[in-house]
Amino acid sequence: MPEANPPVFRRAVIALSGGAVDGTIVRLAIEMARPSHAELVAVHVVELDWTQPLDADVAERSEEAQRVLDAAEGIAEAMHAKLESVLVQARDLGAAIVDEAAARDADLLILGLSYRTKFGGDFAIGRAVPYALKNAPCAVWVVREPMGEEPQ
Amino acid sequence: MTAPRPPLKGRKLGDRRVVVERPHSDFFRYAGPGTMVAKAAASAPRTSIGRRVARVRSFFFGKPLANEQEIGERLSKKLALPIFSSDAISSSAYATDEILKVLILVGTSALFFSIWVAAAIALMLTIVAFSYRQVCRAYPSGGGAYVVARENLGARIGLIAAAALMVDYVMTVAVSSASALANLATAFPAIEPYKVALGALVIVLVTAANLRGIRESGNIFAFPTYLFVFMALLAIVVGLVNVATGSAHTLPPPDHVIHDEGQLLTIFLLLKAFAGGSVALTGVEAIANGVPSFKPPESKNAANTLITMALLLGAIFIGLTFVGMHYGVMATDDKGATVLGQVGAAVFGGGALGTALFLTLQISAAMILFLACNTSFNAFPRLSAILAQDGYMPRQFAFRGDRLAFSWGIIVLAAVAIGMLALFKADTHALIPLYSVGVFICFTLSQTGMVVHWRKERSSGWAWRSVVNGFGAILTGVVFLVVATEKFTDGAWMVLLFIPLLIGMMLFVSHQYVSSARALEMRAGAAVPQPHRHNRVIIPTPGVNRAVIQALNVARSITTDIRAVYISDDPEGTEVIRERWAQAVPDVPLVVVESPYRALIAPLVAYLDVLDRSWTDDKEAPITFVVIPEYVARSWWERMLYNQAAKQLRATLVGRPHTVVITVPYRRDEARAQAEVTGIKPAGTIVAEENVRP
Repeated sequence: MPEANPPVFRRAVIALSGGAVDGTIVRLAIEMARPSHAELVAVHVVELDWTQPLDADVAERSEEAQRVLDAAEGIAEAMHAKLESVLVQARDLGAAIVDEAAARDADLLILGLSYRTKFGGDFAIGRAVPYALKNAPCAVWVVREPMGEEPQ
Repeated sequence: MTAPRPPLKGRKLGDRRVVVERPHSDFFRYAGPGTMVAKAAASAPRTSIGRRVARVRSFFFGKPLANEQEIGERLSKKLALPIFSSDAISSSAYATDEILKVLILVGTSALFFSIWVAAAIALMLTIVAFSYRQVCRAYPSGGGAYVVARENLGARIGLIAAAALMVDYVMTVAVSSASALANLATAFPAIEPYKVALGALVIVLVTAANLRGIRESGNIFAFPTYLFVFMALLAIVVGLVNVATGSAHTLPPPDHVIHDEGQLLTIFLLLKAFAGGSVALTGVEAIANGVPSFKPPESKNAANTLITMALLLGAIFIGLTFVGMHYGVMATDDKGATVLGQVGAAVFGGGALGTALFLTLQISAAMILFLACNTSFNAFPRLSAILAQDGYMPRQFAFRGDRLAFSWGIIVLAAVAIGMLALFKADTHALIPLYSVGVFICFTLSQTGMVVHWRKERSSGWAWRSVVNGFGAILTGVVFLVVATEKFTDGAWMVLLFIPLLIGMMLFVSHQYVSSARALEMRAGAAVPQPHRHNRVIIPTPGVNRAVIQALNVARSITTDIRAVYISDDPEGTEVIRERWAQAVPDVPLVVVESPYRALIAPLVAYLDVLDRSWTDDKEAPITFVVIPEYVARSWWERMLYNQAAKQLRATLVGRPHTVVITVPYRRDEARAQAEVTGIKPAGTIVAEENVRP
């Protein structure tokens, strides 16, 4: 039976990947956060491989990484909502998102998921979502974009 | 660059992450590759005085609006109608009077013709409204008659339309405020000596309301317009019922009635009455000027609003004339009751309700007459913005202020209207002849332009449309000739003088912009020349101190050809300076210029002249960088104590050929703090006053 009232949470971490689904999850989170005036934290993680030190000057200089969070801030501003944005460099995307949610004592983690298929046609869920579903201490929502929106 | 924070440990062994600073995010937002959008914080004042001023501005004019909020400032049809129509609709309150004032010269029997004259004016209104409706659809960027004339009759003819409209908008503001004050002065004679000051105050208040933005000013001014429309229509409906039931009795002649002069009823007199009543059409063009102010679909909404306005104006004008004719209302002089007043008193009758309705009608008429100027405050700035975009007005007129209003246009309109009010001592009789002359020029040009438009476009129905517009052009052209002839000696000559003057001014501005653009133009694909001229640096030196050394370090980054110049009025102290300089910076020559007349700036400029003259003619003149060390004052009183000579020098040198002035500020607090922490002198910040590169 569907719930009459939206679920209540205090603080949600929204993991942004820079994909088309980012806007959807930010809007959704803002709408869901409104009734309880919950805090929203948008996190974008830039993955670094082992050839670079973890504190290398990569994300700060990356316009693309900054733009992902700026776009989310823009949506929040347009919807008259408050959104904290955090840019993180890490070796592993899933671990960094879960760690950030845990460190911020979030009670909800929202992830977007693009509809992609592997060679052969099987659905590709990637590594971050299963990691979050398995390890996040809080509730996890995964929002998958519609099938038709798969980038060509 | 900001240093990343130390790595944070994750929940699992080996998981590490670094939170990266986002220093731009308080002030900017990346909108695309290489594109940043400034947030409100980036435009906020940094100083305490600036913040205070911003608070005061925000209190009076509202918080600044961002460009993307412009769509929210757009007008619905309900709000646009009072904003753009108050001028046109208000003229229905006195247009019938203008007809009767002419016809009464023949005698009361001629008053019968008033309805036919009004019908002819209504026909002209229909044609003009029809034409402007097409203008709204054909030219959605606004601009009305100016754009139509520019596109179809040429730029010069377009300027005639623009200048005529601008003069008329100024006059609308001056006349409406003067007439509102004249009405007030009838009730309160004590204000008579203060009419100019009160008129100026009124204009300032309307200006302030308009600077708050178009939507907010619409909210302020909508109620009086709708109240007047409602009360006038109510009076007409009651009057028509009385006429139909036979209870409309001829009124006794009012006080201050204009007596007939036994003139013959000629075509010219009828034309004069027609021209007098045509004042009802003033303001009809305002909607076509402001199409972009409407909510989407802009053209359709503007066209529909224009038709609503024309219907209301026509209904009130014809209705008042018709009911007035049946009640036998007469034209009075300025001290007598208006046609609207006579009709209102007759149809509402006595009694408490009748008196209340009559008073409401009169008060709403006074309010709408006063607010007629608001139409100009919306149309004039938009027209001047379009002219500025076309390069005929200074570019500032195209800039939107904090509230997305064209602030320059609003302020200039207010200033000129106040000037006119003061010049004519707020005398309505002196101002009215200047009014409604320009608008018929622009009606004629706009209709003629539309004829050309239809003939060029050849869309469906082009033939009959061009016939209608052609007829309208002839009609409005005739009205212009009659109005201009009738009012010429009373002051219309001034308008006919202002218009060419304004055109001359606009052409001058355009010429300036075109010639400067030509001078600055870069040929597409042309190779950008590399720097090839010799650079040299002159450092005006007040002595040997940290600020001078910092300036010297900046100079070293420009060239090796550096010399310091010390202007001395104390030969004894000069040797000490020279010794200290030689010790501190032995590789940079110090030129001492003794100044027995104690001048500081002039000898330095003369020294620069000498350097220029000593340069051989076969080589291109070098670029001289004058690097001025400047101590940064920490408070307003310190600013009075320091840098006075530097300011004078900068002012003198800005604009000097082949010279770049650079100010190197030296901040005592920062320098001390940094020296304490690092032991390294802080780098100077360069403020280039002029950036000339070879």
